[in-house]
Amino acid sequence: MRTLLTLFAVAGIAFSQPAYKQLKYPKLGEVKIPDIETFTLPNGIKVFLLENHNLPLINGIALVRTGTLLEPADKTGVHVIAAGTMRTGGTKAKTGDQLDEQLEAIAAGVESSIDETLASVSFNCLKENIDEVLGVFFDVLTAPEFRQNKIDLLKMQYRSAIGRRYDDAGEVNNAEFSDTVYGKDTPFGRSIEYETLDRIQREDLLAFHKRYYFPANVRLAIQGDFDKAAMRARLEQIFANWTVQQPPVPEFPKVTHVAKPGIYVGDKKEVNQTSFSVGHLGGLLSDKDYPALEVLSDILGGSFDSRLFRKVRTEMGLAYSVGAGWGAGYLNPGLFRVSGSTKSESTVLTFQTIQQEINRIRTELVTDQELNDAKEKVVNSFVFNFDRPSKTLSRLFRYGYYGYPKDFLFTYQKALAAVTKEDILRVAKQYIQPEKFVYVAITNTDQLKTPLTDLKLPITQLELKVKEPKKVVSAADPASLAKGKAILARMQQAMGGVEKLAEIKDVVMSNKAELGPMKVNQKVQLLLPDKVRQEQELPFGKVIAAFDGKSGFLVAPGAPGPQPMPAPVLKQVGDELFATLVTLLQSDTMAGRTVNAIGDNRIEITAGGGEAAKLELDPATGLPAKLIVEAMGPQGKMEVERQFSDWKDVNGVKFPFKTVILQGGKAAGTTISETITTNTGVSIEEIMKK
Amino acid sequence: MSFRNLTCLGLLAPVLLCAQSLADFEKRVTEFTLKNGMHFLVMERHDSPTVAFHAHVNVGAANDPANASSTAHMFEHMIGKGTASLGSKNFAMEQKALAAVEEAYDKLEEERRKERRADKTQIERLEAGLKKAIEEADKYVEQNAFTREIEKSGGVGFNASTGLDTTNYFYSLPSNRTELWFALQSEWFRQPVFREFYKERDVVREERRMRVESSAQGKLIEALLTTAFAAHPYRNFIGWASDIENLRAKGAAEFHKTYYVPANITISIVGDVNTAQVKQWAEKYFGPIPAGPLPPRLYTTEPPQNGEKRVTVDTEAQPFIAIAYHRPEGTHPDDPAIAVLDGILSGGRTGKLNRELVEEKKLALGADTGATFPSGKYPNLFIVFMVPNAGKTVEDLEKAWDELIEKMKKEPIDEAAVKRVKTKLRAGFIAGLDSNSGLARQMAEAHVALGSWKKVFTELEELEKVTSADVKRVLNTYLTKKNRTVAYSIQVKPEGK
Repeated sequence: MRTLLTLFAVAGIAFSQPAYKQLKYPKLGEVKIPDIETFTLPNGIKVFLLENHNLPLINGIALVRTGTLLEPADKTGVHVIAAGTMRTGGTKAKTGDQLDEQLEAIAAGVESSIDETLASVSFNCLKENIDEVLGVFFDVLTAPEFRQNKIDLLKMQYRSAIGRRYDDAGEVNNAEFSDTVYGKDTPFGRSIEYETLDRIQREDLLAFHKRYYFPANVRLAIQGDFDKAAMRARLEQIFANWTVQQPPVPEFPKVTHVAKPGIYVGDKKEVNQTSFSVGHLGGLLSDKDYPALEVLSDILGGSFDSRLFRKVRTEMGLAYSVGAGWGAGYLNPGLFRVSGSTKSESTVLTFQTIQQEINRIRTELVTDQELNDAKEKVVNSFVFNFDRPSKTLSRLFRYGYYGYPKDFLFTYQKALAAVTKEDILRVAKQYIQPEKFVYVAITNTDQLKTPLTDLKLPITQLELKVKEPKKVVSAADPASLAKGKAILARMQQAMGGVEKLAEIKDVVMSNKAELGPMKVNQKVQLLLPDKVRQEQELPFGKVIAAFDGKSGFLVAPGAPGPQPMPAPVLKQVGDELFATLVTLLQSDTMAGRTVNAIGDNRIEITAGGGEAAKLELDPATGLPAKLIVEAMGPQGKMEVERQFSDWKDVNGVKFPFKTVILQGGKAAGTTISETITTNTGVSIEEIMKK
Repeated sequence: MSFRNLTCLGLLAPVLLCAQSLADFEKRVTEFTLKNGMHFLVMERHDSPTVAFHAHVNVGAANDPANASSTAHMFEHMIGKGTASLGSKNFAMEQKALAAVEEAYDKLEEERRKERRADKTQIERLEAGLKKAIEEADKYVEQNAFTREIEKSGGVGFNASTGLDTTNYFYSLPSNRTELWFALQSEWFRQPVFREFYKERDVVREERRMRVESSAQGKLIEALLTTAFAAHPYRNFIGWASDIENLRAKGAAEFHKTYYVPANITISIVGDVNTAQVKQWAEKYFGPIPAGPLPPRLYTTEPPQNGEKRVTVDTEAQPFIAIAYHRPEGTHPDDPAIAVLDGILSGGRTGKLNRELVEEKKLALGADTGATFPSGKYPNLFIVFMVPNAGKTVEDLEKAWDELIEKMKKEPIDEAAVKRVKTKLRAGFIAGLDSNSGLARQMAEAHVALGSWKKVFTELEELEKVTSADVKRVLNTYLTKKNRTVAYSIQVKPEGK
């Protein structure tokens, strides 16, 4: 008990100090609002200058009215690549690498970037290097060269990043929630994909720069250790000859998508925690109710003392992080979102707790204390909006860019001070709409103790897989297409004819497969076109894979019962089904498929989902001799080739009883079919039996 | 000091102002030590009516007791739980209830210690008893009262952090409320109340899930550290799940008694304050905390490594590679040269890794080095972390890294690169002086880790003395295969059809 004594007994010693409550505070010292000079250069650039002599540094930023929202859909990413290579691709006089050497030698920086509704070029330097750095800044802003090597590099880096898109559960949660609410087919929710990236060329980047980077579309702010008059003279001189003109830029698109409410689940087998989001669209900063919504979201989930934090983290210990925010944008609605992470098994409980707290704030007045604390917080911390002069500059600069009044911060603070409990209840009822909520859970579905169906909401599976680049498809013209059809027709004929092929409803096979050193007994039941069950006797036990056309399950030794098929396996199964001979041979009658000759005896068959396979005809027999597909291996893409032989007749259709498999040109295995039967009457229930 | 200032003024003038800023800052910093040993650094800066506080406790995860990793970390979480006067509805009753919780827990542990002979029914009964005792104690909790008081007083950036060597508590206030910080922080240091300890333990467990168990990078770093360090507690990344699940409030109280003694705490205050007034408040609020002996030193030293170590982590995520080399502690004379080497390899776009592995050979999507990992008080690691591009492997990157390093060892070090790195480190330092909170943190850290806050400034001079020969020497001394650990994170697709 000794430690208990030290733990608790010291409290007995009287504290001679006044309790925090009795503290009297002096009046707060005066807030200095810095003096910002604004003017317009002869060429039309609006300039904001702020002298700040605290440190011998100068930095500046040019805002350009454009953004990723203005990208064409088929070239999503073009503005990102453009902004990224504006600086790295160098200027007329110097390559990007030369600029790196020049700037880093004097510890200076010039950078270019872009987001949804603005682009920027910025610089920072020690004051003695201002002339040199302004020169580089001007060149990058007005005449970037976009050298091809840096475009290639950045495009390749984005390709790599796309491949890593689904690795981090927290990031996936953020992106999926935002894209789902804004709409994945809209400028707000689109992603850069391999295909859109491939279409981006240097001419697009030059065109982007020409269209948007002109004086009337640029505003410039500079702050730091300089003399205002001297800086103004310097700018007038530097920018004197930059006078290009362009028509005004188009308006940014508006948010119009209405998201389907319900739960969106992304399965990730390697996490033991759920990253979640709940919410819908937020609003604009200029909404008259924005201050009340700010107070509301602060009370709900904005701090260490918010309702959600208290309930979910402090009281229930369910989460490390949980919070809520009313997202408000300058031009377009932000997101209202409750988000956090919790161990997989408490996912449903956490969602239910969030629902209860949302319900409470929509039906009961908040307490006086909650309201006062929230307001005091804003009032008392208001001074931190001014603790550095640069904050005032960047605020005014942004307000101007987005067309907000200069005194926006002050009117906001005033409105916030006037918010009442009744206002909060009113805006909670009006703006927070649980029936519209999108729930996102990135989780290991095997560990959800309580099923998500308990929430009684529609459930949508999120496919956490990258859209594969369209396979490189050979050029097609009417002649090659006609030839393709002819080659396919010959194969159909050799196998038994179109009618016989069309009669096949199911195929059941017993195989002995040799995969490297491993001998495997396989039973495959195929219910055409897209349902399959495969049972394999492996050295370590029996493995069952079953797929009903949409989803499937796996049974493996050691696993506690059937496990849902993870996304990569689903993709594999889909690819295998596409490459099933009987269906592939009927591609000429299937919607969305193309059959194209790519050689005297070769055809390529492609489908709308990006699937592709090549078939080679054996000129002696007319039968397909080889089937070639591309698959993802551990080292990236590789070719998988199946060589067919030992053809035997099964109910009037010829089937290959021997298949040799090559991967990347190397022998990978052989399958010998002991029996093949067709139209056995196998049912979907048998296929999916657990 | 005078010699150093001369160096600064005379030789380095082309680059800038270090002497001027040091002299200027020195004039504005006051330091004093209370009788109980608590040390204060105060810098007046009246640009805006705000003030930043940084309390630095010289204890971290490296000091976690055996069997109780994450104990130091629990304190970071407990500050929000408050004190006797803030956070309780009835402190006298709450104290009794908390004591009852510990008693109930002791009884449960007593039975559990019987291991195989323990009585299951008895354990269930005792677990129910503990649960009830915790519920009873929870009745007295006024939740989040401590943080609420800070937030509504206009406090911003309220947070705490735990490293391997240090624990830090920090936030900023409007300067007229400076005394509030004294009142709250002094009471908490003197007597933190471990209320809701067992719920917060679950939160820490959740944090481990987030940072390690559900993160491919976290898993890789944990594997790297536990492999690189066989003995030294720098192997303790965030604590083990099983330890966290069994942490005890009474263990935390013992830890507090040992490590949270005034002489082990440094306070740094930067902003719109009056130094004389700060001294008065320091005496008044922190003076009464009884002095205690300095905590025990950490004796465990990492034994020499006798050959390359390797470790692999299988995940569903795309691959990464990290390679770490043993290097000496932060106060070692080689430290500045290692910092320059770090800059040559990965500082900015001209860094060798970016130029060669990212841009030229297009092997890496990104690559970065760190001179001091995971912390600097004791001998630690120089680390490189690389992300392969699509279609490239961790083996490709390891090979390219080896080639790059071996080539550097043979060829002369680029003088221009050395100069560029020094200039950048200097400019970065100046930019860091801009914020009160950043400066407060730097000064407290320098005082503890390097022996004086002035080292924040004089370290730059040490850096300036580094020559290309020094860089070559540390490269040859430390970046050897025998001295390293290679960690792969490999993508393993789930087995299927």
